[in-house]
Amino acid sequence: MASGVVAGKQGHSALTGLAFAPDKGRARTTGQPAATRTTAHNQNGNRPGMSLALIAALPFLGALLPGLMIRAGRTACAVSTGAVTALALLLLGLNAPAVLRGEVVQTRIEWLPQLGLNANFMLDGLGLLFAGLILGIGLLIILYARFYLAKADPMGQFYTYLMLFQGAMLGIVLSDNILLLLVFWELTSLSSFLLIGYWKHLPEGRQGARMALTVTGAGGLALIGGMLILGNIAGSYDLSVILTQKVAIQSSDWYLPALLLILLGCFTKSAQFPFHFWLPHAMAAPTPVSAYLHSATMVKAGLFLMARLWPVLAGTPEWFYIVATTGLVTMLLGAKIALFKHDLKALLAFSTVSQLGLITMLLGFGTKAAATVAVFHIINHATFKAALFMTAGIVDHEAHTRDIRRLGGLRVLMPVTFAIATLAALSMAGIPPLNGFLSKELMLEEAAHTVWWQNPWLVGVLATIGALFSVAYSFRFVAHVFLGPMRDDYPHRPHDPGFGLWAAPALLAGLVVLIGLAPMATAAWLVDAAAGAVTGAAVEVKISHWHGLEPAALWMSLAAIGGGLMLLGLFAPLSRLWEGTPRPEAKRIFDGLVEPLATLSRRITDALHDGAVTRYFAIATLAILAAGVWAFVSGTHQQGDHALTPVALVPAAGWALLMVTTCAIVALHRQRLLVLILVGVVGLMVSVGFAYLSAPDLALTQISVEVATVILLLLALNYLPKTTPAESGGARRLRDGVIATLAGLGAGGLIYALMTRDFAFDTIAAYHLANAKTEGGGTNVVNVILVDFRGYDTFGEITVLGIAALVIYALTESILRPGPANDRLRLWKAESQDAGDRHPLMLVVATRLILPLAIMVGVFIFLRGHNLPGGGFIAGLVVAIALVMQYMASGFEWTAARQKIDYHALIASGVLVAAATGIGAWFNGLPFMTSAYGYVTLWPLETFELATAALFDLGVFLTVLGAVMLSLASLSRIALRAGETVNLAPYDIDPAAGRTVKEEAR
Amino acid sequence: MPLIAEIAISVLLVVAGLFGLVGSYGLLRLPDAMTRLHAPTKATTVGVGGVLLASMLYFAVNGSVSWHELLIALFLFLTAPITANLVAKAHMHREMSQGELPDSDTGRVWATFERPGAPIAPVLTSAAPVESAKS
Repeated sequence: MASGVVAGKQGHSALTGLAFAPDKGRARTTGQPAATRTTAHNQNGNRPGMSLALIAALPFLGALLPGLMIRAGRTACAVSTGAVTALALLLLGLNAPAVLRGEVVQTRIEWLPQLGLNANFMLDGLGLLFAGLILGIGLLIILYARFYLAKADPMGQFYTYLMLFQGAMLGIVLSDNILLLLVFWELTSLSSFLLIGYWKHLPEGRQGARMALTVTGAGGLALIGGMLILGNIAGSYDLSVILTQKVAIQSSDWYLPALLLILLGCFTKSAQFPFHFWLPHAMAAPTPVSAYLHSATMVKAGLFLMARLWPVLAGTPEWFYIVATTGLVTMLLGAKIALFKHDLKALLAFSTVSQLGLITMLLGFGTKAAATVAVFHIINHATFKAALFMTAGIVDHEAHTRDIRRLGGLRVLMPVTFAIATLAALSMAGIPPLNGFLSKELMLEEAAHTVWWQNPWLVGVLATIGALFSVAYSFRFVAHVFLGPMRDDYPHRPHDPGFGLWAAPALLAGLVVLIGLAPMATAAWLVDAAAGAVTGAAVEVKISHWHGLEPAALWMSLAAIGGGLMLLGLFAPLSRLWEGTPRPEAKRIFDGLVEPLATLSRRITDALHDGAVTRYFAIATLAILAAGVWAFVSGTHQQGDHALTPVALVPAAGWALLMVTTCAIVALHRQRLLVLILVGVVGLMVSVGFAYLSAPDLALTQISVEVATVILLLLALNYLPKTTPAESGGARRLRDGVIATLAGLGAGGLIYALMTRDFAFDTIAAYHLANAKTEGGGTNVVNVILVDFRGYDTFGEITVLGIAALVIYALTESILRPGPANDRLRLWKAESQDAGDRHPLMLVVATRLILPLAIMVGVFIFLRGHNLPGGGFIAGLVVAIALVMQYMASGFEWTAARQKIDYHALIASGVLVAAATGIGAWFNGLPFMTSAYGYVTLWPLETFELATAALFDLGVFLTVLGAVMLSLASLSRIALRAGETVNLAPYDIDPAAGRTVKEEAR
Repeated sequence: MPLIAEIAISVLLVVAGLFGLVGSYGLLRLPDAMTRLHAPTKATTVGVGGVLLASMLYFAVNGSVSWHELLIALFLFLTAPITANLVAKAHMHREMSQGELPDSDTGRVWATFERPGAPIAPVLTSAAPVESAKS
């Protein structure tokens, strides 16, 4: 982990390895080391800081808390979640002074440097602004949600999703690497899906979540393409490098594709026209989610990215016409629809769309002044919109409806809510002296000076109309909900909620007033820092309420307020007109587009993936075969030059046996017991083959696996049909036979080709042979590979083995639930009468005698494993077989009652022992799974070796033992359900007593 | 290696091989299951035992006494009779009836034909959850 100055070279050199034809040459020549950068970012020098990665990681760590803390109560859950967010906020605050001085805080962690993907974080003014919004408003949302969510809602889940989302958002705004940013970008799409669909029982919630995921996810795909192009042009995936490459990027042929793709990502995320439709549907989420996602976070991510890349992407005609026009259209469209929505949250949703359009338009103007205004409005919008969403939630919570037509006159019943909502709404309308007025006037000023396609007044007029509509819907929010006569038909008689619910919006309303009254003291410094980061130049804003009578903005503002009030006055006839005109229904269009795509993909998937194993095998085999044939045909081929060895008699006999057995299996495959015996023959022949070819470890493993498998399969076969029904016709069998033959010939040909020539590269075997003793401390290379060189693989394998055993257990569990499989088991009839002595005395006695011997063999094989054939895996199987024999001799229940260790615990302890051994290396400052060994002399024994690898092998041993025993236990449970009886004594007939023990027990 | 040891080892191996061959041939040719049992259980036990003795002798003469063979022999002598016993019991149970069999000399039927009466309810243990009990 390295902190400090950006190393542009590294990303650069990593990138030149990637072939990206059109710009490859340019990427090489333009990738400049960071030292020559000229933006504001490093004029003041960079500042190392480790805390950024921690800030981004904290919410993810905090996501683990709610699930645990919910057991301590809802308040404890909320407090613990809030504490994590507050801690992250505190860490951010510690970095703030440096950022406000103009420094850039950075944390660099190497992740996959070969791909240019590093976990690099940076904090500049823009990042500080957004991170502050995300954490600050996040804290308020956590408080608000504590009181908003009903008792029936799973609160722990909510906070977990919220924290995941918060972490993803923080990651976006703190990333210095665009690939890392993309990872977090996708994470926001996924976590917002969980949040929007939080009320799983509501179809609107599920559909809204799906729509949001589809739209933002599709945009995310486009963004990935755009970002990769951008990184290739700039020669680095590090933002701090990319931001210095304005000339190179804008003169590149790939500028326009990159711009379009990136903007697709931004517009879908920020709900810009024509992708605005998902946002209102996301309103099916609980209000805290809407307040968080649609005021300060999710939809602002698109704006953030446009602002982030503003220095290198903005300033071209393409940027202006695409971004500014889209913003303008979105602003007008959103504002118009918002006015006519009757659902409080839908009104706010479309107003959000409109306000986002406004900010997009400002960024699109491409001037530094406009970008500064955009930053200022981002702050203001976050404050008043979060407050508005929360008050809408309060109204919904108290009056049990969000339909404006059913509300009105709440002023008297809910005075506190009324006050908060009015302040926030007036700010949204742009009424002085609130903060919304300040930024809106600045916006109108910018719009008035913007020329669109040689038309000097178009943008100004349209922006004024947009502002006019926003005045109208803001006033409607207040007038139609809170003003007017009190009604007596509310679904629920509303009153002001407790302090906990209105504290958060009240605080935000306070900010609205505070920023409005004293913008220079409360917000200007933050705007300076953020706008400086966006524009790449030092910014000092002057925000004031009165600019004199000269500026056009004053008159535009007045026109907007006057027009807006008139519009609201004419609301009733206008609304009737609106309802009467047909308009495209976004959801229907969306569904119409998605439905056929879903059908198509389902058809393809179903065709390839129909649940029949034979089809998967056929597809996989044919695909591999085709790849092999293609490789063979397209390449050149030479006959191998190794001389063939003569065939000796013994291996030829073994080979013939294998062939005959395989053919017999194909011919007799319907008779399951017979096939099992034949499979056993194959297994034994394979292990003999291993022994013949000097692989005693493999032979031992194979033979013990074979024995355990055959025993378990025999037990399972007892409750299965004895023959396999004929399911496939002749054509199908012919097809499968042809595929199998071709694949067999292919594999045989490949092996022949490999064995008749030298390997293209040196094999790793020589390394293993040379280093097994010196590095792994063992002379049995196979075992050293398993527990040391490839110990991590083995660890994965025993984990998989443990999971497989648990799956067997889980499948048994599901079979034993009421259902067809359970019914079949209950009706199962044994083919013949039970034997009188199912547990004969001789077998019982012999297995008891063998048990200590077998365990001794197991211990022997285990201990010598490191230096001679053996090891934990084989030892585990040997001991397992010895134990299985006890169970077979005396019956499962009788034996199980005499063993004290749970099989699940056995598996878990095995995996944990192996993991702990691997982790132990960390304490010596070595990588995971590094093994150590030493020699110990313990009188009267000879000097012997102690290796940590043996502990690891113990983990393997325990897991194998547990897995076999758990499978046996599962089979036994099935047997009990099928009517198997349980004996109370170790054997059925005691010859000495002259009568059956069972009778005695009864 | 002294000649006498070589001769002894060779004889042991040849005898073992012969017994193995005879055992396999018997398994193939004897008419029914009960008589067939004799071939592998008796003949191959001696066959394998001969190989084990030869192996022990070989390594003893070469200076390293090996005890593995004793262990193998022990396992073999423990398991072979039990296997034969179980195969015979299974054959009796599936293919024969009490009438075809000689008297058991205990005043009772052969064990496999004992009727245990009503099934005994399962004893529940930690390894067998409650719902697996047959109702």
